[in-house]
Amino acid sequence: MRRLTPLATVALLGLGVLLALQLSRPSAPIEPTEQAAQLAAELRCPDCQSLSVAESRTATADAIRRDIAEQLAAGRTPDQIRQHFVARYGKWILLQPADPLIWLLPVGALLLGVAAFILWVRRAPTPVEAGEPPASDEDRRRVRDELEALDG
Amino acid sequence: MARPHAVWRWLLIPVLAVPLGWLLFTGLGRDPRLIPSPLVGQPLPALTGTTLGNEPFTTASLAGRPAVINVWASWCAPCVDEHPLLLDVARRHGDELQLVGLVYHDTPEAARSFLAEYGDGGWPDLADPSDRIALELGVTGPPETFFVDASGIVRYRHIGPLTAEVLAEQLAALGVDT
Repeated sequence: MRRLTPLATVALLGLGVLLALQLSRPSAPIEPTEQAAQLAAELRCPDCQSLSVAESRTATADAIRRDIAEQLAAGRTPDQIRQHFVARYGKWILLQPADPLIWLLPVGALLLGVAAFILWVRRAPTPVEAGEPPASDEDRRRVRDELEALDG
Repeated sequence: MARPHAVWRWLLIPVLAVPLGWLLFTGLGRDPRLIPSPLVGQPLPALTGTTLGNEPFTTASLAGRPAVINVWASWCAPCVDEHPLLLDVARRHGDELQLVGLVYHDTPEAARSFLAEYGDGGWPDLADPSDRIALELGVTGPPETFFVDASGIVRYRHIGPLTAEVLAEQLAALGVDT
């Protein structure tokens, strides 16, 4: 285990840096239409299956897109707009889970898997089963007798 | 020496299989179209608008009576199917509860011709040309029906065409004698 620890440390640090970069990624583009499109892509279309509001052409998706544009024009922040729809449709409408713990779950599962793999690889190989005990004189005599009996 | 290890291996199967099986079993039994409304258990938001008859309407006028708010559109085929049920509710329970229609993503002209063709029960139908009221209710699409009790709390939201069973059950829950 000691030999692999630096490698594991580096891997952990790398994952941490990636996660931090992902979480701190700037999410506010300047263009309002672009911002509206981005918000629409984050919301689930209520009257279709597995599509975002941005991708769908249904009546409700259309209405939500217009509503997002109006709210942005009225000076509301993306967070306020998200909350506006969560209050009316529930957390269901967010395509990305809002709970950061959810994002750590796969990382945790990966680390567990790596740890299990390392433990498995480093475990002392099970000793090869000791061979058959050497044949005794009695055994040799019996084999010889049987062979002779076969030869007739 | 190898025996305790084998025990773990046997334990691993139920430890993995039971939660996975439970997840699949409950997950597959769930209808993805059933979206719980955060409005259920909450007071109905104050909605104001203009009816198809060009009269002002506000949900404040519902105070003290149970209400059934039905979201519909002339382009919505299942709305045609459930319309007779609503007409029946209006006829039988019109004095106990208030029916309100919300015309969704439609023109007032098309909505009026729908009523002319399939029957006008006389209850107020809110025109919602910008879909503002519908989004306020978290509407997913017509037909959709909200059951509001006499104290103004949303008790149930039904997605899809109403059935006689759903109506009877929900009206009873609102205290309407069915």
